[in-house]
Amino acid sequence: MLFLRQFRAELLKMFARKRTWMGFGAFFVLELIILLKLQTSEAERFFQRDFTRNTGGMELIFGDYFRGLTMAFMVMGLTIFLLGSVFLALVGGDVVSKEVEDGTMRMTLCRPVSRFRVLLVKYLSCVVYTLVLVVFIGGSALLTGMAWRGVGGLFAYVPEEHLLVLFTQKEGLIRFCSALVFLTASLLTITTLGFMFSCFNAKPAAATVITLTLFLADRILSFMPQFESYKHWFMTTHMATWTNIFRDPIPWERIAGDYMYLFGLNATFLIVGYAVFSRRDFKS
Amino acid sequence: MSAAIRLDNLRKSFAGKPALHGVSFEVQRGEIFGLLGHNGAGKSTALGILLGQVYPDEGEAFVGGISVQRERARALLKVGAIFEQPRFYDYLSGWRNLEIFTSYSAAVSRAEMDEAVEFVGLTARIRDDVGTYSQGMRQRLGLAQALLPAPEVIFLDEPTNGLDPEGIAEMRVLIQRLHRERGLTVLFCSHLLSEVEVLCERVAILNKGNLLYTGRWHDLMPKGTRYRIEMEPWSAELLGDVQLVRPGIVEVPPGSDVADLVARLVGAGVRVRVVEPERQTLEQLYLEKVLNV
Repeated sequence: MLFLRQFRAELLKMFARKRTWMGFGAFFVLELIILLKLQTSEAERFFQRDFTRNTGGMELIFGDYFRGLTMAFMVMGLTIFLLGSVFLALVGGDVVSKEVEDGTMRMTLCRPVSRFRVLLVKYLSCVVYTLVLVVFIGGSALLTGMAWRGVGGLFAYVPEEHLLVLFTQKEGLIRFCSALVFLTASLLTITTLGFMFSCFNAKPAAATVITLTLFLADRILSFMPQFESYKHWFMTTHMATWTNIFRDPIPWERIAGDYMYLFGLNATFLIVGYAVFSRRDFKS
Repeated sequence: MSAAIRLDNLRKSFAGKPALHGVSFEVQRGEIFGLLGHNGAGKSTALGILLGQVYPDEGEAFVGGISVQRERARALLKVGAIFEQPRFYDYLSGWRNLEIFTSYSAAVSRAEMDEAVEFVGLTARIRDDVGTYSQGMRQRLGLAQALLPAPEVIFLDEPTNGLDPEGIAEMRVLIQRLHRERGLTVLFCSHLLSEVEVLCERVAILNKGNLLYTGRWHDLMPKGTRYRIEMEPWSAELLGDVQLVRPGIVEVPPGSDVADLVARLVGAGVRVRVVEPERQTLEQLYLEKVLNV
């Protein structure tokens, strides 16, 4: 019961801050810009060319697929990995260190509560934020796309993952909604990395910047041909596994392997963060 | 019955710089105990150790007979604390802040929260964002959160810092009421000696991490009576058994009369202009003890 009160209190703190909502606002504006751009005949011609080339000349059905669901998928693919990581690093990197910096952590630690419990409720609130952000981005992209062009089928095309597949409206919607859950699990790695640095004796901005630097470095290196043989060590390689939910058939074994790896990373980040936090002296 | 608070040979260094050198003292149940020392004396470190926020290199702290280092959660179950500048979530109301902080202790009823808010006189503004509060209101909110849920021991770290004279007086009255009406044990850390003098019977004096004195501050008082004396010419030989404490201040030993001294001086042709008792303040005693002034 007390745990639920603490968890509620953490969520209250997190969602009452303006900074928390910045991510939602920024994504929505970006989605609108991308969707507007996709409405132009120039963009449509570009995608039609791509679609025809990759589907072996099925241009007649392009109109059934260049609709809300496909647009939402494109918006997700274009934005969430990079921009989402920025906001998740910001929230994860801020959640503990900001309270230490502001002095509210000392006020909390006057209470008969363990440091483990304090971190646990904070981390769980970060998990909720990650889920809410991903669902908001996916949901708003889908709703906005549907409002403009209806639902339609799903043309899932991710060249760097060698993914190209067509789904009916029903199957597409199921895959799209499932992908949000897997994407949350992938992006949680960024949140947890930020959370770990937030537990260190560092300013909130430093924790966020270090998290983003590591994420971007990992992403860049994983794309370099010189590092091809090390690709399986990069976290972003495993994080990209969420797109596998759009393959037919779904490679469950590969997905499970990737998420096991990410789970191990998350657990390591949490243990290191807790170890550092639990040994710190808190003093004015 | 065990002491409400006990510090047992606490030692702590930060980055190799000693902050506490084997500090030990006890605070009895129901007393207001002053922990005195200038900035950097080690008061906050001692308080941090008592709250389990700072790990001692050696020694142990006990609250209600329970070791903070071994059973922190149980030891702090009946403890409330405020710091010199209590920090809150400025973007939330005072009420929400109380809900958040108390959620880390125990279930607190609305009636208990109302009572604490009323006690500190914040009822009218409790629904406003803390960002709009004055320093005095923040201190009062800090005190309200320390009172939830029903502590038996309360740590006050420089609670009057940053307050105007009116705020200081209000805070003093609140602390006295806490002691009188609720029988709380209060550990009052301050460098404001006048406040400690008014509120506390017993004190501990820290200087550079060393415990210089612990006991009743009245016991620090000189055994004799001190007088400020102005005479011309100044003659130390004529003082006799009267001790010159510092220029212009003499201490007449018990059993002697200042009138005898005056008669002796006048008889020797000394012009005595002023003889008045000097009231000993804790501040003077502290300066003598710490700085040998």
